[in-house]
Amino acid sequence: MIEVKEIEKRYGRKKILKGVSFTAEKGEITCLIGINGVGKTTILKAIMALTPLHKGQILIDGKPIDKHSFEKITFIPDSLTMLPNMTINEAMEFMKDFYTCWNQKRANELLGFFRLEPSSRISSLSKGNTAKVNLLLGLALDVDYVLMDEPFSGIDMFSREEIANVFTSHLIENRGVIITTHEIGDIEHLLDKVVLLDDGLVTKEFSAEAARENEGKSVIDVMREVYQK
Amino acid sequence: MNVNFNNRDPVYQQIVRYFKEQIAIGEIKPGEEIPSRRELANRMKVNPNTAQRAYKEMEEQGLIYTEKNHPSKITTDNEILGQVRTELLVEAVDQFVTSVRSINVPVEELLDMVKEKYTENSEKEV
Amino acid sequence: MKKYLQLVNFEFNRIVKLFTVLLGITFVAQMIGVVVQSRSYLNLANEKMYKEMMPQAEFLESFGQMSFLQIAKSSWFFGPIALCVAGVAFYIFFIWYRDWIGKNTFIYRLLMLPTSRLNIFFAKITTILLMTFGFVAVQLIMIPIEIMVLKAMVPNEFRLDMGVMEVVTIIPELTLIFPSSFMQFIFHYGLGLLAVSVLFTGILFERSFKWKGILAGLLYGALAVVVLLLPLLLHEFVLNNFFYPIELLVLEIIMGLLVLSASIWVSGFLLKKKVTV
Repeated sequence: MIEVKEIEKRYGRKKILKGVSFTAEKGEITCLIGINGVGKTTILKAIMALTPLHKGQILIDGKPIDKHSFEKITFIPDSLTMLPNMTINEAMEFMKDFYTCWNQKRANELLGFFRLEPSSRISSLSKGNTAKVNLLLGLALDVDYVLMDEPFSGIDMFSREEIANVFTSHLIENRGVIITTHEIGDIEHLLDKVVLLDDGLVTKEFSAEAARENEGKSVIDVMREVYQK
Repeated sequence: MNVNFNNRDPVYQQIVRYFKEQIAIGEIKPGEEIPSRRELANRMKVNPNTAQRAYKEMEEQGLIYTEKNHPSKITTDNEILGQVRTELLVEAVDQFVTSVRSINVPVEELLDMVKEKYTENSEKEV
Repeated sequence: MKKYLQLVNFEFNRIVKLFTVLLGITFVAQMIGVVVQSRSYLNLANEKMYKEMMPQAEFLESFGQMSFLQIAKSSWFFGPIALCVAGVAFYIFFIWYRDWIGKNTFIYRLLMLPTSRLNIFFAKITTILLMTFGFVAVQLIMIPIEIMVLKAMVPNEFRLDMGVMEVVTIIPELTLIFPSSFMQFIFHYGLGLLAVSVLFTGILFERSFKWKGILAGLLYGALAVVVLLLPLLLHEFVLNNFFYPIELLVLEIIMGLLVLSASIWVSGFLLKKKVTV
């Protein structure tokens, strides 16, 4: 379980996170939703210690992050995490060298799944394919938790479908996933938990199926209610 | 497996409903093996947890049974199968009655219309 | 340790092309320099002796013999060295910033590696060291080759032969990079290592705090200089030349190690807790 506890962060004078708390369970898909700039990316970066926090604490399976955590949790940002002049093969070699949890079999499967040519240079790929490479580099690690920042942004519809299929496959199974997005249209039915963010705080944290079962509301319905208060 | 999910009903319930419909129309036979939870999630493009929940619900309702180390199978219990058909029919009738009640037409006229439509459609299919 | 070495290998490979190109330029330019300078001397000799009918002895008295010194003082020789120095100086900064700027967000990957983040620091500083030593070593190998070419071009009587050691010790600028004693070697390169580590710390301050970081970095640099000079300053101005030279040396070494450890510690702290992507 990933526990985010009362985290606060400022950018200069502006307070971006004012005490955000939520949890993400292993084996569930948790979605952070909010308008652009609300701090979704900042939260993910903070979980990975890629940006400092002013207050609060983040625990992964009960412990604060350390160098070993990076074999248990991975982050797929919306920018490339490899040198663009590398080929996909070289990128995979790099990952294999540094991570003991790198699963080449899974990587090969993803190459096929995404229809990527391993000898191609990353800089020569389209935006959609670059995003898929990024996903591959994260998903081929046998980690317990996967964080994805706006996996669908700026991606063409067909690539989006391909990426969405990842969530329903064994590639996600048993892992804890946190994704951020500002448009949940295509993936609403895939989410286990939803965390709504507004003005630096969590305004609502709920289970998507529970909202449907108990209130007959879709996630978008709940969002409408919350954001129009 | 083409299911169009709506976002207001719990997805797992929609899956259970799908299976009931398939059973009622005979597309899925009693005793037939159904895909694993994981495979179902993949085919229907749903969260594996949802598939898991759907299976649990179907087990509880007696719709499927799972022997140890075997894939789950549709029940062969005729009573339950009959209940499924009834349930779906009752639901359809409910919906129909609710939508036509406000139009205030005598029952006999309604029944005649239903008969006409029904036989017309059967002839079309033949 | 293994991850550190892997990182060093990785970092070095990123710059190896540029490194090789600079070496190539140095070799070519210095060779051209040998040829050009020799030619110009020979042309002068020809002009004086065959056109103006100056006797050889007089020529040699007035203009002297050709030695490697002339070559070493020319821009053909020093230009590429300056280029390599500029290259290393530039890369001290660029080795960090290249991972942050523009489309390149490789810093994410570096910071998410399952290894101590200090290894990133160590790998980058090692790469700078390797580049420096690489240039120095190759230059040292090039000099005897250049001497040979000189010997081939200019006849015996017109030449004042210098060995590599001589070349390296006589030319003042070269003694900076080719110190004559082990102690001097430690001193020069130790100081260089120290300077790079302080610069790295400054860079990390900037990457952690932006504008305030630049200020912090500059302050840190100033502090480092003060600490380093402390024994000397005390010795001169406060304690009335109290220390023996050997004691001063030891004190300086201690101060140096202090600043180095502090830079490493602060850099580690910034990388782990304060840096932001």
